[in-house]
Amino acid sequence: MKEFMMIFIGASYSDIGLSPEEMQGQMGKWFAWNAEMEKAGVVKGGHALHPEVKRISGKDRTITDLASTEVKELVGGYYIVTANNYEEVVKIAEGYPDYDLGGTVEIREIMVFEQ
Amino acid sequence: MIDHLFRHQYGKMVSILTRIFGLANLETIEDAVQDTFATAILSWRDKIPENPEAWLTKAAKNRTIDLFRKLNAEQKRVHTINQGPEVIAINDLFLENEIEDSQLRMIFTACHPDLNPKEQIAFALKTISGFSSKEIASALLLKEETIKKRLTRARKTIQVETISFEIPRGKELPDRLSRVLEVLYLIFNEGFHSNRKDILIRKELCGEAVRLCKIILKNEYTNQPSAYALFALMCFQSARLDSKVNEYNEIVDLKNQDRKTWYSPLIVLGNRAMTKAVKTDVFSAYHYEAAIASEHLKAITFDQTDWDKLLMWHERLYELQASPFTLLNMTLIHLQKGNLKSAKQFLTKINPKDLEQRAYLYYGTQAEYYIEKKETQKAINSLNSALELVTNESERNYLLKKKALIK
Repeated sequence: MKEFMMIFIGASYSDIGLSPEEMQGQMGKWFAWNAEMEKAGVVKGGHALHPEVKRISGKDRTITDLASTEVKELVGGYYIVTANNYEEVVKIAEGYPDYDLGGTVEIREIMVFEQ
Repeated sequence: MIDHLFRHQYGKMVSILTRIFGLANLETIEDAVQDTFATAILSWRDKIPENPEAWLTKAAKNRTIDLFRKLNAEQKRVHTINQGPEVIAINDLFLENEIEDSQLRMIFTACHPDLNPKEQIAFALKTISGFSSKEIASALLLKEETIKKRLTRARKTIQVETISFEIPRGKELPDRLSRVLEVLYLIFNEGFHSNRKDILIRKELCGEAVRLCKIILKNEYTNQPSAYALFALMCFQSARLDSKVNEYNEIVDLKNQDRKTWYSPLIVLGNRAMTKAVKTDVFSAYHYEAAIASEHLKAITFDQTDWDKLLMWHERLYELQASPFTLLNMTLIHLQKGNLKSAKQFLTKINPKDLEQRAYLYYGTQAEYYIEKKETQKAINSLNSALELVTNESERNYLLKKKALIK
């Protein structure tokens, strides 16, 4: 079994301007997806991230504070799942609730180093 | 999770926070509440809390304090709520009865006479009911831009006129309450008579009006007989909301509705409200409208409808409120009674222009009259006039079906 990271990219719900009703609907979908993965026993962990970004870059280590709307591809969170291959993870990622809202999932295999 | 929890919670939280921060900060408050939901989604992803409502309220409360600090820092206000009795006072505002009180204040704000009726409806649906401008536009069959403009105007008026966030008392109350009831009545009718195909959205509007009316009835100053009558009317109408459209999304008129599907618990609720509503010497238009709605519900079949009684209620309603729609209904009642001469008399009293965008109803009724008189050509002409004016598809299909039956 290998481990993969599903990275969720897309604007935050507040920035999209979802109504409370739509947010509740979206939450239901997240919950259902999560429950499904729990049942399959594939989730190893994951986190949701605050939308505020502090970026450090350049040799001068320049620090920039970015509002979520200023970030082109905002990472909203990630899950780590176990699977045999990318195809299996693609299958899992079908349940991601935010495709309709312009969200994206990126799947990356986690590197394992020889001991 | 409870249906519409977020939407309802939105109205509650905005109302409480407005009571604390004042209407001047309404926009900041609405944004803050919106943020609470975004946070809730993220933190509930794995497990929904046992009491989501309490979770949201607590989050809103914390958000309140954050917000207060932020506002203080920005505007250098000397309010400190971090210690002492003010913290206690704010805690109290999150108790159930105080939440209702705050919502009631918001309802009176939304229905303030300085706002025009169109703005009142949009503002109420946004601020108290938690609909987005897109959802309001879709429910009212308007453009989102139109709703946004109305909301902006309403907010501006509230700022400029410095409307106070209070429940009016004393001499001011009757007029202000009657305005509130009128707005709720309009919201309900937007749902009940809507040309919208989507029955779910229509139900939401009706449900919202009912929910807000309940808040009115819970307060000892605002639970007036007219409010009970309006509540009864909403219950009676809601009871047959489902039967108004069939599975093919076609309009089903009263004559052809399946009376077995009328929802009896709502009828019971309406009757109970009605017994409280009649404890007065002065009847409102809602009293008569509720009586009319109830009369229809009482008839086991369409043929068993008590047309005489209905006519009496309509006459009383017309004395109170000379509406062309009442005249139209009286025409139809006379037609049912086979009283063609009286029907004609009532019909000639109506100027179709007074019915505005529902003028097609006049020609539809005129067609009914000619059908009864067996003047086929005239009936077809009337239906053609109606078809020229009707904009809604299901209404159009209804009229076309009627026309096909004549030929």
